Parts: sequence; C-alpha cells; structure tokens
Amino acid sequence: MGGPPRYTWRFDVVLENLPHLLSGVSLTCALTALCMLLGLVVGLVAAICRLSRWRLVRGIAFAYTEAFRTTPLLVQVVWVFYVLPILTGVTLTAFFSGLVALGFNVGAFMAEIYRAGILSVNPGQTAAGLALGMTPGQVLRRIILPQAVTRVIPPMATTWVALFKDTAILSAIGVVELMFRAREIATDTYRPLEIFSVVALIYFLLTYPQSLGVNYLYRRFRTQE
Amino acid sequence: MTVAVTIAAMALGAAVGLPVALLRMSRIRIVSALAGLYIDIWRSTPLLVQLIWVFYALPILVRHSMTPLLAGVVTMAFHVSAYLAEIYRAGILSIAQGQRQAGLSLGMTPFQVMRRVVLPQAVTRMLPPIGSQFISLFKDSALVSLITLQELMWQAQSLAAFTMRPLEILTAAAVIYMILTLPQAVLVNYLHRRYLAH
Repeated sequence: MGGPPRYTWRFDVVLENLPHLLSGVSLTCALTALCMLLGLVVGLVAAICRLSRWRLVRGIAFAYTEAFRTTPLLVQVVWVFYVLPILTGVTLTAFFSGLVALGFNVGAFMAEIYRAGILSVNPGQTAAGLALGMTPGQVLRRIILPQAVTRVIPPMATTWVALFKDTAILSAIGVVELMFRAREIATDTYRPLEIFSVVALIYFLLTYPQSLGVNYLYRRFRTQE
Repeated sequence: MTVAVTIAAMALGAAVGLPVALLRMSRIRIVSALAGLYIDIWRSTPLLVQLIWVFYALPILVRHSMTPLLAGVVTMAFHVSAYLAEIYRAGILSIAQGQRQAGLSLGMTPFQVMRRVVLPQAVTRMLPPIGSQFISLFKDSALVSLITLQELMWQAQSLAAFTMRPLEILTAAAVIYMILTLPQAVLVNYLHRRYLAH
C-alpha cells in the first residue's frame, strides 16, 4: 500500500483522561451557574439604574451596558485578568477574574432583557393602575412585573446557553474548565484529534438539551395580549 | 485584519447558509434532518472549540496543515452559516402561507412565487437579524487570536507583552473594538426600527 500510513485512532487515551475532562465539565457547569447568578443581580441593578430619574445614574448604567456589549468577551476577560490588577492593586485568581468578566458581561445583556421586558408592557396599563389609586411601586409589583417576567424568561434562557458556551473562552486565562483541560491533555498526549473531537461532542451533548429547553420556553411563554 | 476576516467569513457564511436553509425546508425527511443536524452541531458547541478543532485536529484527519487565516475564516464562516440558515428559514416561513397559495392560484410557478412574492418581503425581515449576526461575528473574531491569527486582539496581546504596558495597550484595543462596533450597532437598531416595526 502506498502513501502515508493510516491514522490509528487511540480513544483509550481519552478514556484514561476522562476523570480530568469530567472535572473540567463540573467547573464549566459551576462557572455557568455562578456567572449567571452574578449577571442576574448586576443586570437587575443596571436595568433599574437605566430607568432612573437622575441623568447621571442613567448615563453610568448606559455606559456600562454599552461597553460590555460592544467589545469582544475575550477582550473583557483578558482586560480584567491583566489590567484590572494594575488599576486596583488587587490581584485576582484566574477563576475570579473569569467569574467577574463573564458575570458583568452577562449582566449587561440581562439589563437590556429586563428593560425590554418592563417596557414591553403597554404604558396604558401603568396609567390605568395609577388612575385606580395604586402607588407606582404597587403598579410595578402587581401589574408590570408579573407580565414582564414571562416575557423575560425565554431570552434569559437563551443568554444562559450562550453563557455556557462562552465559558470555554476562560481557558485563555487559565481557568481549568473543560476546554483548558482538553488543551492540557491534548498537549500531554499528542492526541489532539481524539481529545478535541470528544470535547466537542461533550459540549454538544450538554448544550443541545439546553437549546431544546429554550425552544420549549419560547413556545410556553409566547406573548398573550 | 479583524475587519477583513469578519467580512470574508460573513460572505462565505451567507453563501453556505442559503442552501442549508433550503435543504432544511426540504420535503424529504432525511435531507431536512441532516441540514438540521448541521445547524445544531455548529450552534451547540463553542466557537473556540470549533476553531481549535479545525486548526489542531482536522489537519491530522485530512493530512494537510492549515494556515491560521484559512482555519479562522473557514470555521467562522461555517459557524455563522448555521445561524444565517435559521435566519433565512425564519424569514421565508414568516411570509403568510396564503400569499404563496394566492401566487400559485394566479398561475405562477413555485419558483416565481419564491422570487417575486416571498423573497422580496422576506429579505427586509431578514436584514435586522443578519445585521445583529454580523456584529456578533465581528466581536467573536477576537477568538481567532487564540489560533495565532494576527488580528487586532493578537496584536494587542503581543504588544502588551512586548512593551509591558498591558493597561494602555489592552484598554486601547477595547476602545478600538468599541469604536468599530458602535456604528454597526446604531445601524442595526435603525434596521430593526425600519423593517421590524409592527
């Protein structure tokens, strides 16, 4: 037979390193959950600030959301890891830098989702509530939020899935999640084809059910006026 | 380089996405399932994983090494093609079925209905999401620095290391991205208002 020898697949290499990959998976999942939690809180604060009466507060919240939405996530992650310590004098571990960068990134997108949800409720309903003698706080809590929540849930779920995939970027600053483990093992074993293929498959198997869940949420909470 | 890579990948992705969208809408089950699988694979894995796979793993399989530029553009193009295929499909399906039937009953061929009735309306509905997709791709292009393609982010990181001035250089890189992305975002907002105001 001519030509170069056939490639011999060595999936036993993957099997041997499976525990390392799985520890990466668990960190990927934990990071997604923590970043989402941080993003939900930061996003809510930013959304409320953007609806504030004071111009300065609105301006700061606007600058925050736009800065995070118009720059690449990788730039933000690298900036928080390498630049923020110079500015603040506080050195963060790769894990916390990643958590902060990704959490604030999600926060900026969440702020816009909250805001769109609140603004999507017909302003006539606010007027009606006020006319009935409710306070603005009551209107927000009893009329607007219950309707806004169902509109916010589907895009929130989309953000979650995007976040899950984006955690792979944190491997660039050395957070030992799934992608970092994969690159480590691929270098150690000289088996990038097997390792990266399996890792892509792992990401697919973890993400695909989440996408199905998101589709379900979109059907379930289709806007009823 | 960042701009060129994004435009090249977008153009290629737009061309690949169209047949994928049409195959996805095929009446033959297996064809539409395969197109659906293609879309789901690209949409359910991180772009970084795809880049690394194409750059480090694929060459072993095809026994042919790839330049970072080729790997970067091809991967981004296929990645975005999956999203564009879904945008095309949603746009075409958003045109009411009644209009198709009206066209057919007027004696137009299915092809004429597609070209003269469905597509002119679908295109305006597709433009805003395509614009959003372009912005995402533009920002995602920073990831190709990780397979050593020398675009804006790669230059910034190597300069930061070389000059030992990460604060200034990386901040400048972030500002450049912001300045480049903001006008695109304004344009996309305009497209949304212009074509999707209901």
